[in-house]
Amino acid sequence: MNADSGVSARKRTGLAKSRRQKTVFLIIAIAPSLLGYILFTLYPNVMSVYYSLLNWDGLSHAEFVGFDNYVNMVKDEFVWRALYHNLLYMIVVPALIVFISLLLAHLLSNKSYKENAFYKVIFFFTNVLSTVVVALLWSFIFDGSFGLLNGFLEIFGMNMNDFYWLGDTRTAIWALVLPMVWGGVGLYVVIFINAMSAIPKSIYEAAYLEGARPMTILFRITIPLIRGVIRVCVVFVILGSLKGFEIIMILTNGGPEGSTDVIGLYMFNLAFGKEYHNYGYASAIGMLLFVILVGAKLIIDKVYPEENVEF
Amino acid sequence: MTERRTLMDGIWRILLFLWAVSILFPVIWILYQSVRTNPEFFQDIWALPTDIKWSNYSEAWNSYDIGQSLLNTLYYVGVALVLGTFLTTLNAYALTRMEFKGRKLIWGLIMLSLFLPGINALVPQYILMKSLNLTNSLSGLIILDSFGENVFFLMLLGGFMSSLPKDLEESAHMDGATIFQTFWRVMVPLSTPGIVTVAIFKFLGLYNNFLGPFIYLGDPSKYTIGVNMYQANMKMQYTSDWVTMFAGVMIVMVPSIIFYVLFQKRIMEGATMGAMKG
Repeated sequence: MNADSGVSARKRTGLAKSRRQKTVFLIIAIAPSLLGYILFTLYPNVMSVYYSLLNWDGLSHAEFVGFDNYVNMVKDEFVWRALYHNLLYMIVVPALIVFISLLLAHLLSNKSYKENAFYKVIFFFTNVLSTVVVALLWSFIFDGSFGLLNGFLEIFGMNMNDFYWLGDTRTAIWALVLPMVWGGVGLYVVIFINAMSAIPKSIYEAAYLEGARPMTILFRITIPLIRGVIRVCVVFVILGSLKGFEIIMILTNGGPEGSTDVIGLYMFNLAFGKEYHNYGYASAIGMLLFVILVGAKLIIDKVYPEENVEF
Repeated sequence: MTERRTLMDGIWRILLFLWAVSILFPVIWILYQSVRTNPEFFQDIWALPTDIKWSNYSEAWNSYDIGQSLLNTLYYVGVALVLGTFLTTLNAYALTRMEFKGRKLIWGLIMLSLFLPGINALVPQYILMKSLNLTNSLSGLIILDSFGENVFFLMLLGGFMSSLPKDLEESAHMDGATIFQTFWRVMVPLSTPGIVTVAIFKFLGLYNNFLGPFIYLGDPSKYTIGVNMYQANMKMQYTSDWVTMFAGVMIVMVPSIIFYVLFQKRIMEGATMGAMKG
C-alpha cells in the first residue's frame, strides 16, 4: 500500500515535470518566430491603415488628415499612369512567361533530344541570379553605344545610331518586359516539366497511334491535363508583376519621364526616394495596392476555379 | 515508342538552342569583356581579349570596396541563415508534431500572411525599425529577416517532419529523453534533408535580397554586395569604366554559380514544391 502510493506520487511528479518541460519547450520553439511575425509583419500591416490617414514626411509632426490622401490619390494622374503600366505588364509578362515555359517544357519532356538535360539546368539558371545581376546584365544589353542588342542588330545590317532602348519613352516600357520574362521562365519550365511527367505515358502513346501531331498533343492533351498547375503559376506571375518593381527600379527607376513607372515603384519612391518623403501618401497608395492584389486574387479564383484532374 | 525526326524537330531544337544561348551568351560576353581594357572594349564590343587583363578584378575589388561588402554579406547571410533555419526548424516541429492549446489559432494567424502582399507594410515596417534603432545596421537586418513566419518553409519542413513515424517521440520519452533531447538528437538528424532544403532557399533569398538591404543600410561601409553593385552601376554612368564593372558583376555572380552547381537538383525540386504549395 505504502510502496504503491510512493510510486504513483513519483509518477505524478514525473508527469508534472514533463508537462512543465513541454510548456517551456513550446514557448522557446514558438515565441521567437511568432512574436517576430506579429511585430515585423502583422503590426506594420495594421499600422499601414493608420499611416494612410496622416500627412507626414517622417520628420515633422504627423497631422491627421482623414481620407485626404485617398482623395488626392484618385486625382493623381501619376497613380493612373502607373496603374496603366501595371495593367500592361500584368497581361504581357504572364502571357509570355507561361507560353514560353509551356512550349520549352513540352519540348524538354516529350522530345528525347540528347541535349535536353543540359538545357533544363541552363534554363533554370536565371532564377538563382539576384535581381540586381539580372538587371545589370540587361543594362549592358540595352546600352546604346556598347550594348549587345545594338551590336547584334548591326551585324544584321541595322545601324541603330546608338539608340538607347531604355532612354526612349516609346521603347523603355517594352524593353523592360525582356528581363522580366528572361528571369522568370526557368522556374516555370521546371514546374511544368514536373507536372507533365505525372501524366501517364499511355495517354500519349494512344494519341500517337491515332496519328495526333505534336502540337495537337500539347494543346489538346498536355495543357488540359495540367490546368491546375498552370492556374497556380498564372496567379503567381500576375500577382508578382503587380507588386514587383525591383528590375524597373534598377534599370530605369520609372523613367524616362515616368514612362515605366509602376504603382509599387511610385509608392517606394514617395517613401524612400531621394527627394521629399511622404509617408502618409505612400501608405495610402500601399493600401490601394493591397486592395488591388487581394481583389485580383479573388477574381482569378472566381473566373478560373480550382479543379483537380484525375487520370 | 520511336519518334520520327521531322523538319519541325529541327526548328524546335534551334528554338531550345536559342533560349539557352540567350542565357549563356550575356554571361560569357561579360566574362571575356571583364579581362579587356576600356579602349579595346569601346572600339569593338565583339572582339576577344588580346591579352588577358586580370587586373580589372583587383581594380574592381579595390575601387568598389568589394572585400568589405563581401564580409558584410557573409555576416548578414551567414548569421541570418543559421539563426533563421534553427528557429524555423524548432517552429515547424512544435507546430506540426506537438499538440497544444491555441495551435489552430497560431496556424490561422500564420496563414493570414498568404493574403498580405507585404508591400503596403514597407513604410510602417521602416518606421518601426527606426524606432527600435535597428536601421543602418546589418544586425538589425538579421533580426528582421530571422524572426518571423514563412508558410512555404513551415509547409516544406513540417510536411517532411509529419511524414516521420508517429511513435518516435514516445519511444525516446520511454528511454528517458527530455523533449529537448528528443528534438535535438532524434528529430533534427532525421529531418536533415528537409532542413537542408529550407537552408538552401533561405540562402538564395538572403544572398539575392536587394530591397531590404537597400532600404535599411544607408552607410556605404555596410552595403551588401548586391547594393554595392547597384550603387557602383549608378556611379558608372559618370566614370564609364565598363571593364571594371564587368569584373565586379562577375565577382557577384561567382557565389550564385558555385551554389547552383552544388545544389542544382535540390533547388529545382524545392522550387516546384514551393510553387505548388504557395
